[in-house]
Amino acid sequence: MKFNQKKRVIFLDSNSPKITVKEKVNIILSPSLYWVKRLTLPVKHARDAKKLLPSIFEDTVSDGNYNYSIYKDGDEFIAFAYDDKLILDTIEEKGISASNMANVYFAQSELEFEGAIKINETQSLTTKDGILILLPCCWVQESGHLSLENLTLSKHSISLAQFGHIVDSKSLYKIGAVLLALIILINIELFITSQKVDELVSLKEELFEKEKLQATMFQNKATLSKYEKIHSSQSKLRDAIASVLSLRLKSDEKLKEITLKNKNFSARFSPLSEITIKQLTKKLNENKIKFKSEKKGDSWYLEIVL
Amino acid sequence: MNRINPLHIGILLIVILLFSFVSLGNSKAQLKEAENEYKLTEQIATKVTGLKAVYGNKKEIKKSLKRVLNLSSLRASKIEQKMKKSGVTLSSQSMDKKALNSLMGKLLNGSYNITMLKIKKLSPEKVSFDMEIKW
Repeated sequence: MKFNQKKRVIFLDSNSPKITVKEKVNIILSPSLYWVKRLTLPVKHARDAKKLLPSIFEDTVSDGNYNYSIYKDGDEFIAFAYDDKLILDTIEEKGISASNMANVYFAQSELEFEGAIKINETQSLTTKDGILILLPCCWVQESGHLSLENLTLSKHSISLAQFGHIVDSKSLYKIGAVLLALIILINIELFITSQKVDELVSLKEELFEKEKLQATMFQNKATLSKYEKIHSSQSKLRDAIASVLSLRLKSDEKLKEITLKNKNFSARFSPLSEITIKQLTKKLNENKIKFKSEKKGDSWYLEIVL
Repeated sequence: MNRINPLHIGILLIVILLFSFVSLGNSKAQLKEAENEYKLTEQIATKVTGLKAVYGNKKEIKKSLKRVLNLSSLRASKIEQKMKKSGVTLSSQSMDKKALNSLMGKLLNGSYNITMLKIKKLSPEKVSFDMEIKW
């Protein structure tokens, strides 16, 4: 529901004086700002007739970028051709900013009077064959001045394409189509990516079930760490035992004891010759095993932390 | 009826396009994260399953130990077996060199989690033996 009546109405002509507007206003366009034709067309609806307007006005309008509007008046159609840029420039020139522009109407659809009325010092409005026309003052005898108070506006307002002169409608539609195509492509990609994410999540769940993993990755990492530590210490133990048992001891050299307790591997020998100690040290170093050795009484000790 | 300004539609399309771009970027990052997470889970699963089968399979460890201890070369050593909740202990007060070689060869070549070991030379031919295996 519109409350157009509550807004101030301004009649806009290129000869109108400049005005100051601080609130939203409805604008009625003077016939000097548009082309109008009363037509009888072999179509029922205004939307069908609108398609024919560019060719109907082709020979009438001067060069420019025009928009068209049409409405039905009885059995006839009232058709308009207008230049958005010309109207917008005139609106701006008269001191009305685009943000203060509520609705824009044609004088043809809004004004109805008998005889002629004066719109400014030089021009008058009159009706001829149902078409509102602009005439110099001296040509007709005016019955009064234009009064816009108590005027009830129709529903035949137009929207002005503010950037229509920069990019024409066809280019706008092309750009729109490209943007729309891009949006569709991106959203298809987005859908595929989401599907892949969902697929990976279910694969992960399947893997958890198949391998009987624990509920959280934290628990599984802890389990892995536990078993890796076991594997590492068992490998070191086997390397240490292999190094000790592969020693070629002399007849007076004996391995008396091997112990593993709290991840400490130790071997107790009878006194070893320097050659045997060197041989053992070399083997342990080759296997990258860190060790400690010491001689206590008549025994030689080797200690390895696993 | 007022016509919708094509510029407004254009702006709306650009906003939707930007939003779609951002959503796609987030979704791609999510996919990469999910891929990395899956690979990591797969690696952990393979390692955990493998290591568990080797060191944590109580049933398999018991079975293979039984096989080893039933070897004829070890029967004379009277190896005592004590089952615990967390593992098993093997001990022999006196074992000859040959039996020790045979037992150690089998146990060290197998995948047992040996947590305690004590081999003490008693005489040139005899040793005492204690071992704890955990699962």
